[in-house]
Order: sequence, then structure tokens, then C-alpha cells
Amino acid sequence: MDTQVLYNIVHQEAFGFNIAMYFYLTGLSAGSFILSTLAYGFGMNQYKAIGRVGVVLATLLLVIAPFFLLIHIGMPHRAWHLFVYLNMSSPITWGSFLLILYPINCIVYGYFMFKEKIKLTRIFGFIGIPLAISVHGYTGFILAFGKARALWNTALMPILFLASAIVSGIALMILVVTVKDRFFSKTKKIDLELIMNLGKLLAWMIVFDLFLVGSDLLVLLISHSDAQAAADLILGGKFSTLFLIIENLLGKIVPFILLVIPRFRRLTTVVIASILVVVGIFIMRYVVVVAGEYIPLL
Amino acid sequence: MKAQNKRLAVLFDLRKCIGCNTCALACKSENDVPLGVWRNWVKRVEKGRYPHSREFFLPILCNNCEDPICVTVCPVNAGIKRPDGIVYIDPHRCIGCRYCMASCPYGVRYIHPIKKIAEKCYWCHHRVDAGLEPACVEACPTGAILFGDLNDPESEISRAVAENAVQVIKPESGTDPQTFYIGLDIESVEAKQTEDK
Repeated sequence: MDTQVLYNIVHQEAFGFNIAMYFYLTGLSAGSFILSTLAYGFGMNQYKAIGRVGVVLATLLLVIAPFFLLIHIGMPHRAWHLFVYLNMSSPITWGSFLLILYPINCIVYGYFMFKEKIKLTRIFGFIGIPLAISVHGYTGFILAFGKARALWNTALMPILFLASAIVSGIALMILVVTVKDRFFSKTKKIDLELIMNLGKLLAWMIVFDLFLVGSDLLVLLISHSDAQAAADLILGGKFSTLFLIIENLLGKIVPFILLVIPRFRRLTTVVIASILVVVGIFIMRYVVVVAGEYIPLL
Repeated sequence: MKAQNKRLAVLFDLRKCIGCNTCALACKSENDVPLGVWRNWVKRVEKGRYPHSREFFLPILCNNCEDPICVTVCPVNAGIKRPDGIVYIDPHRCIGCRYCMASCPYGVRYIHPIKKIAEKCYWCHHRVDAGLEPACVEACPTGAILFGDLNDPESEISRAVAENAVQVIKPESGTDPQTFYIGLDIESVEAKQTEDK
């Protein structure tokens, strides 16, 4: 049957680059925070060197992130409405409180860490882990509650976001630690063992992330017609280059190979893999947000 | 409290629709809708190949759903459902976060280019409260649009809904839309624009 749309209106874009950027920054922040608790919360002493870097990154990124929201919303001077007129069924309401509590906890946790008060650091580290998970998990719920869009409306979305948050957090940590040790430390010596440990962690988190993306795609391909259309859009349509080549091949599979094959295990390859991952996860956020609302609803 | 016993609804009789866009025009002038955005519009779809072809018209406006997802997700309670079923946006409350636009299955919301807040069709509640019909209903030259109270069994719309096979757009979205159609063509609902934006 030949069916042709002769006239239809063009809809405005609801979310876009700003929201993708916001998701990306909160993800990096949550990932960095969780890494910093490895040493100071769980007592894994081999990661002690990244504890401080982690908490500084987590705080800084989470201070920047909400500005993208303020740019995005039409009425930034009404942002206080979020704290007064509450609607508990909206993930944005949960988020507005998380975005206040989490940075405060980060600052307190960081303060005690720099003051070397190990016990208090540990307590605030453990308070911070659920906060970090929620502050990024709720962004997954924002998309999952957008039930009109097949690409978003999946229960996997929060966990998918968390997995990619940790992946990008580890990669950013590798880059920051390398730069810091090379240029800003007294000895100018890079702790290679730490970088290699982080590299291994990154490799296995990439596998988990790939598994989640794969399961999401498989179900999309079998599910209702809108879901199939969304899967076609990212596999063979306008977003296929971004999704398949940049996000998954260059952003996940190539770094994984660079990280697991022993012959490649050198500082340069780990750094290259990390750069690829950091870029790939940004593309992931962009594809999820923008491709999700690309197909017109009517 | 007379309003609480009402359940307002809209019925499009697509057998009578001639695709003249008068409803869209009437809405624009009644509600001062800016350029580039629409509260209601008529989607035109051509099916088949000449000589066996026909054009279908699908007038779309806000369904004022019984279970509106836009109200569920609004972070500041700016989306409000009245007891008679009309869903409207409090213009002084909305922060323009666009979450309602992202979640609406019908894409009927837009951001006002100057006011920067979300707006949509609310069945001209200012006219309804004054005892008039919505602007599009009054303007339709073929009488293809009915508006009224479904809970009143004597109203024209409830008789028409009772006596005809009616359908809503996207019943699977679970929002219980209250805009009904007679003669709705599923192909014209599902047809998507193929060229790029």
C-alpha cells in the first residue's frame, strides 16, 4: 500500500544537546564518586591515590551539570518552583533534591578526606554511594517515564545509564590521574600499577555495558512496531554511524581489545582507550536522547 | 458542584471532514497561537495509487486524557486536570522544562516561542466556562466536530458515541484519551514523514 504524508506539522525538540550533556556530566560525577569510595569506603588500598581526585572531580562536575538544565528550561528564574510545588510522581522532582543533597555530601566527604579523618570519610562515603547511584539513576527514570518514546521507555534505562556512568567515570579517572601525575606531581612519576588496575576494571565494566546495550537492542527488535522503528533508526538509519561505529565500535569494542590483550598493555594504549571511551559515552548519551525523540509520534 | 458530574469529550466524524483546516485557523485566532506552533492541525495522508487513491484527513488536538502522562510527570504540578476532564497548564507555574512535551504520546504540546512555557489545546476552557463551544467546534463548516458531556446521555456527543463505532488514537499508550473519532484510518495515524526533518 502506498501511503504518503502530504501535510503534517514539525514538532519542536523536547530534549536535546543540553540534556544529553547534563546526563553525561552527572554520569561522570557519579562514576568518579564511586571510584573514590573504593579506597575510602571499602578499604581497597591500591586505589587510595584516586580517592581525592575522585571526590574533587565528582563535586566539580556536579556543580557544572545543573547549569545545562538552567540553560535548557525556558524559565530559569522559576527554578525555585521545583522545591516548592512538589509532584512525587515526577523523576525531575526527585532529582531536584538529589542535585542539592549529593554535592553537599560530596563536599563534606571530601573535607574529611583531606583532613585525614578516615572514620568520618568512610561514613560519608557510604552515605554518598546511594546518593551517587540515585543522582544518576533518576536521569534514567526521566527517560524511562517518557512512555511515548520506544527507545526511552524501558526498565533497563536506569541501569544502562549507571553502567555507562561507571565506564565513563573510570576512563576519565585514568586520564586525570595520568595528567596529574605527569605534570602536577612532585616526582613526575606515573603510578603504572594503578593505571593498569583501573584499565582492567574499565575493560570488565565495558563488557557489562555492552551486555546491557545488547539486551536492550534485542528486545527492541522483537517488540512492538514503534520499538522496531527505533531499533531501525539506530541500526540502519540516521543515527547508525554514531551508534554503531562511534559509540559501540570505537567507544567500547576497540578500547576493550586494547585493554585486555597483554601485548597492548602500556600506558599509551590505556590512555588512548580511555579517550575513546570518554568520547563514546558522550555519543551514547546524545544518541539516546536525540534519537529517542527523532521519530515523529503522529 | 455541577462541574464534577461532567465528562467532557470531543468527537471527530471523519466522514464529514473535508480537510479545510478551518479548525486550525479558528484555534490560531482564538488562542493567539504564535507562528510555527499549533494547538490543533490536520494531518493529510494520501493512500493508494491513481486512480485507486484517496486522501485522508486526521484532525489532531489535545486528547485531554483521563489519565494524562503529562500531568503525572510535571515536576511542578503545572499540569492540572479539572473535574470535568479538561487538562490545562498553569502559565504562572510552568518552568518550561519540556518534560511534558517529551512524554506526550500525541505530540500536542509546544513551547511558546516568547513566553517559553509549555502550551497546548485545552478545549478553549475559557469559552466552555462561559457556556460556548470551543472555537474549532464552532468554526467547522461541515459540523464534523462534536463537543459535549459524555456523562449526559441526552447530549449530542454521547448519542453519537453510543450509536457509532468510535476509535481513539494510540489506545495502547494507556492514557485513556477523550478525543474520539468516527471512521479513523489506522494507516493515516501510523504514516510517518519519510524525508528528513
